[in-house]
Amino acid sequence: MSVKVEVSEGGVPHDRIMAIGIVGSLVAIYLTYLNVLTGTQIFSFFGGIGAVFAIWWGTDSIKTLCSYGIGTGVPSAGMISLGSGVIAMLLATKLGVAAPIGLVIIAAVLGVILGFLSDKVLNMNIPVMIRQLTELTIVGALILLGFASMATGSFAFIDMITGTTTFFGIEIATYTYSLIGGSVIAVIFMLGGIAIQHPFNACLGPNESQDRTQMCAAECGFLSMIAVAVMSFAFLSVSAAILGLLVAFIGWIYTYNEYIKLSKRDAYDWLDAKPIREPKGGA
Amino acid sequence: MSALGGAAAGGEGINPTASVIGIVILLVALGITFFIASTGGAVALIGIILGGALIGFGVHFVPVGGAPAAMGQAPGIATGVAMLAAGAGLAGLFGGAWAAELGFAVALGAGAVGGGLMMAITCMMVNVIYVFGMGIPSASGKVDKDPITGDTFPEYKSQGTEGHGLPFISYVGGVIGGTLGGLGGTLIYLELLAVYEAALPVIYNAPLEEILPVAVSLAGIFAVGMFLVNAVLTAYNITGTIEGPHDPKFKRFPRAIIAAAVASSVCGMLAIMVVAL
Repeated sequence: MSVKVEVSEGGVPHDRIMAIGIVGSLVAIYLTYLNVLTGTQIFSFFGGIGAVFAIWWGTDSIKTLCSYGIGTGVPSAGMISLGSGVIAMLLATKLGVAAPIGLVIIAAVLGVILGFLSDKVLNMNIPVMIRQLTELTIVGALILLGFASMATGSFAFIDMITGTTTFFGIEIATYTYSLIGGSVIAVIFMLGGIAIQHPFNACLGPNESQDRTQMCAAECGFLSMIAVAVMSFAFLSVSAAILGLLVAFIGWIYTYNEYIKLSKRDAYDWLDAKPIREPKGGA
Repeated sequence: MSALGGAAAGGEGINPTASVIGIVILLVALGITFFIASTGGAVALIGIILGGALIGFGVHFVPVGGAPAAMGQAPGIATGVAMLAAGAGLAGLFGGAWAAELGFAVALGAGAVGGGLMMAITCMMVNVIYVFGMGIPSASGKVDKDPITGDTFPEYKSQGTEGHGLPFISYVGGVIGGTLGGLGGTLIYLELLAVYEAALPVIYNAPLEEILPVAVSLAGIFAVGMFLVNAVLTAYNITGTIEGPHDPKFKRFPRAIIAAAVASSVCGMLAIMVVAL
C-alpha cells in the first residue's frame, strides 16, 4: 500500500540511465586492466571514472525507489547499497580477470534476496523494490571496486591485501601497508556512501529536475574521487597518482560549475552575495 | 512520514509464504557454507545469523523520531533509523573489536556496553537539547502513562503533535537497543575474525602476526556492511518512526528477525566464501 509520488516529469528514462551506467562503469573498470597488460600504473584513474558512472546511475535508482514512500529517508538506501555492495565486491575480487563481471552477478543475486526480504517478508509491497535494491547492490559494489582499483591500480584481491614499504632503504612486501590491511577500504566505503546518498537527498522536492540531480551526482562522485586520488599516493607511482588527482580535479571543477549553472536555471531568483568588505583603515 | 510526503508503506502481520521461502534461503545458505567450509564455517555462520537477528530485534527499541522530531512534533531522537543504528552499533563494534584479544565473553560484553553507552549519551544530550534548548517537555503520544515511572503525558502534550521530547521509557528503550545492537555487531565481527585468522595464514602461507591486519580489516568491514544491511532492513520494517518498546509498531519485530536472519545468512555465506573458495 503505497502512493507513488512523481518526482520529475520527462527526462531520460531510467532504463537508459541504467544501461549507460552499467556499461560505462564496467568498461572503465576493465580499462584499469591495461595496467597489467602494459606494465604501468598510469591507467588506474579509469577506476574512479567507473565509480562516477556507478554513482550517476545509482542516484537515479535511489530516486526511483524513494519516489515511493519508503518512510526511512533517502540515506538508508545509500547505506544498504554500500553495505551489501562491499560483501559482493570483496568476494568478486577473488575471481581474477572476471572480477567486474562476476561482481555484477554476485551483487545481483544478493540484491534480489534483499529486495525480496524487504518487499515480501517485511510487507513493504513496493512494485520497484526488488529491482531497485538489486540495482543499488550492484551500484554499491561497482563504486567500491572502481575506487579500490583506482587506489591500488588493480582489481585483484591479492593486490588489495599486499603493499610495499621501505625499511632502511630496502623495499619489503607487507600486508599492513595495503588497501585492506590498512583499512583504506573503510574510508572508500564512506566516501562512496556519502556520494551515493547525498545527490537526491539534496535535490529532492517539488522543483526537482533530473539533469540537476544527475549533475550533482557526478559532482559528488568526482569529489570522492579527489580523496581517493590522494590516498592512491600510498600505493601507486607518483606520476600515476598525480594523473588521477588531475583527472578528478578537472572533472569536479567542470561538474561543479555545470551544477551551479543548473541550480541558477532552476532557482526563482539568484543573489550573487559577495563577502562583506571591511572598510579600509579598520572599523 | 516519508521524505516526499507519500503514505508510509508496510502493513501489519507476517506473510507466511514469503517467510517460509526466506527460511529455505537461510537453510540453503547454511548448507552451502557447511559444504565449502565444513563444520567450523557453519558454526561461524550460525553465530553471524544470531548476531543479525539481535541487531534486527535491537533496532526496534531505539526511539527514532526522524524529521518530525527535529521540529518537536514527534517523540524520539531527531534522525533516521539507519543513522542511529549505525551510530550505536558501530560504537559497540569498535568497543568489541578493541577487546577482541581479551576473550570471547569480554569482547561481547565490551561491545554491548559500548553500544548501550553510546545510546545513553545520545539520549541524554537529545533530552538536554529538547528541554533546555527548545523548551519542550517530554511527552509520548502513543501511551497515556509511562510504563516505568508512571508519569502521565496527555496534559503536557501540545495540540496537533504526536508528542515530543524523549520520555523515560524511550530512553530505556534506546539503551536496550544500543546494547543489543552492539552485542550483535560484535558477535558477527568475532565469528568472522576467527574464520579469517584460521584460514588466511594457510592460504597465503604467512605467519599470523603478519597477516592479522588483513583479517581484522576484512572482518571489520564485513561486520559494518552486514550491520548496515540489517539496520536498514529493520528500518524498512518500522517504516520511519518508532517511540520505543511501548509503541504499537514494536509488535512487528518477528518479521524483522526473520528478514535479518535470512539476510545475515546470505551475507555471511559470501563473507566466508572469500577465504573458503
